[in-house]
Amino acid sequence: MPAQPLRAVPGGRVAPAAPRVAFCGHCGKPPADGLVPQVGSRVCIRCNLGLLLDAPAAIAPKANEAFVVVDRALAVCGLSRRAEKVLGVREVDVVDRHVTDLLIPADAESAAGRPHGLSAVLVAATLGSEEPATMVLRPADEFGVRFTARVGPCGPSPGALVVLELG
Amino acid sequence: MRTLKTSEAAALLNVSANTLRAWERRFEYPQPQRTPGKHRVYVYGEVAALRDALRDGLSISSAVSRARESLRGDTHILVGALSAFEAERADGAMEAALAMRSVERTVEEVLLPSIMELARRQGDDSAAWALGGRWAVEWLRRAQRLTPQAARPGTVLIGDATRDDLDIDAPAVRALELFIGRTGVRVATLPVRNRVGLQDLVTALRPGAVIVAGRHAGDEEVARWAYAVRSAAGALPIALYHRGAGDRETTRSAAVPSLAASPGEATAQALALLDGHTAPARMARGARR
Repeated sequence: MPAQPLRAVPGGRVAPAAPRVAFCGHCGKPPADGLVPQVGSRVCIRCNLGLLLDAPAAIAPKANEAFVVVDRALAVCGLSRRAEKVLGVREVDVVDRHVTDLLIPADAESAAGRPHGLSAVLVAATLGSEEPATMVLRPADEFGVRFTARVGPCGPSPGALVVLELG
Repeated sequence: MRTLKTSEAAALLNVSANTLRAWERRFEYPQPQRTPGKHRVYVYGEVAALRDALRDGLSISSAVSRARESLRGDTHILVGALSAFEAERADGAMEAALAMRSVERTVEEVLLPSIMELARRQGDDSAAWALGGRWAVEWLRRAQRLTPQAARPGTVLIGDATRDDLDIDAPAVRALELFIGRTGVRVATLPVRNRVGLQDLVTALRPGAVIVAGRHAGDEEVARWAYAVRSAAGALPIALYHRGAGDRETTRSAAVPSLAASPGEATAQALALLDGHTAPARMARGARR
């Protein structure tokens, strides 16, 4: 059977890409006008301690929100300065550990609250799912503390972002 | 080993010198060495490894972790080469490690950990240790032969209390010789069992400090050797290396201070001992292994 040539779908619509915003992986602040990092460098020139990441605007952290960055292996890649304070850990001590060593689902009644719920949502995010997910999480070694968290993709390398909403 | 000035390292990473210093404080990486003028110099290999890791990293912490991991790869390669009895590949691994580190750091971070890992995995009575232990000692001797002539006053006399080149402590003792020699101080090593003519040698060398290194020789033998040295040279500061009180059932040695197990730290302590203005800084840390 001869191969069919590709053709445009008549009347098809391309879904608009969700607008993405840049922020620092340490201080969480966006790169301000006039403070563009040097060519080829993604290092935040405000704090010098984070790389500039991007995420869909609906997920990206707002000023002073705590967040955790996770890679495709679900290993912790980075913690924001606020997250270090909220979770009581230093970034250098948790980097490369599995995210569930740090955060686990706390909502036992929803599907996402099942033991592997967080992992499934994170995997989907690292695979590029732009749909933001909301979960209830708690620190892995602590009861009685719960956070609502937005989970979604971040880049430029494939990764996932967990933003803790502290109310 | 290729090194970079701060401005060069910053340019390679495309960051400012301030950023480099901030990373040094927070991540302890890249860890610069200091020139005699106290200026920072960075090892090219460390900076290049970080640049590669940053390229598609999600955070500086994870990039630092990956850069460190890539540098640790040298240890895995060396253990693998020695376990497979491939001395040439082991030489190659050391060459690669030297491209990224100073001689001292290569010995402390790659050679000694690898050789200890080999002994742990295979045992110091194994064929692998017979090849690997001897290879390490010969590598260190070769490096020592390339050390410039002594340029600083003073001589350190090392009483070698190891059994032979296959003694588990032999690589560390050879590393201490190498490190002290590289500071410009003359080092003379003599097995503690060789006491005949010792007084003539001590009179000729006039050592300023004595280190008894290794655990194999018994206390009696070491005491006789030390007595012969002191008879010829008078009271001299003596310290132990890889022969701490915690290492063996010893009573006489316990009163003598021990140098740190790391040859780098032990060298600094030995020089302080030689200069005579400091008690070796153990000495609190001397028992650490």
